[in-house]
Amino acid sequence: MASILKVDEMQGVTSAGDITITGEGTATMRLQQGLAKAWIDYKGTSTNSIRDSLNFASVSDNGTGDYTASYTSAMGNANYSALYSAGVKNVITAQERLSAIATDSYRIEMQEDGGSASDSSYVMIAMHGDLA
Amino acid sequence: MASELRVNTLKDASGNNSVGMSYVANGSAKIWANWTQVSTQTVRDSLNVSSITDAGTGVTFPVSFTSAMANNDYAGSYYTMAASGEARSSWNNDYVGGFGDKTTSQFGTQSYAAALVDSGVNDVTIQGDLA
Repeated sequence: MASILKVDEMQGVTSAGDITITGEGTATMRLQQGLAKAWIDYKGTSTNSIRDSLNFASVSDNGTGDYTASYTSAMGNANYSALYSAGVKNVITAQERLSAIATDSYRIEMQEDGGSASDSSYVMIAMHGDLA
Repeated sequence: MASELRVNTLKDASGNNSVGMSYVANGSAKIWANWTQVSTQTVRDSLNVSSITDAGTGVTFPVSFTSAMANNDYAGSYYTMAASGEARSSWNNDYVGGFGDKTTSQFGTQSYAAALVDSGVNDVTIQGDLA
């Protein structure tokens, strides 16, 4: 019989931040550690906007191809894993970089291959690590 | 005493935001890591990584797992700054970084920018099935 658990918050008994789940086989893992702590799909052209996100409060437009995104809940340290992708319309060889990464925000910049700063219509990023 | 809860679906108290446990288990990252290859290769923070080994300039092999994966068909994303600093100041798309051999217990990475180079920032996330 299918079972449904209705709760607003889950905590570990021994340690609030440590709930063990069984993976696909027999190995177990910490639920909190495997979850993405932040992700975003951001539109950096025309009127900048967040299309969809988790744990982002705002994104500031610092100038052409230059954005700072702030988290709603901060990370526990700046050593989290950050994987990102961005594209500049009709430019195949666009480049991007995370020029600053902190517990409460990150800054991402992008440019065309020739070095000219360029806005990106799709800026997508996912963070795995520890929440504060 | 440890307690175990067996359910198929999680919902919030209002009965909304439903997610099946299969999505919780299958959708969670099984491995993530942030490490430097500069000087002594060191893991700054990670999940399910037991050790990394310096296998030469720009090469980390193996990145060994604490809990093995069920098969070697897992999906992985790898970012390398491909430069020796740690400020993430380099433009990364001119560089090539990729996975080396991967098995159920380990994988390797290579950081490349015109030549193999020790990278100050390496990030990886693995999605797949635990053994």
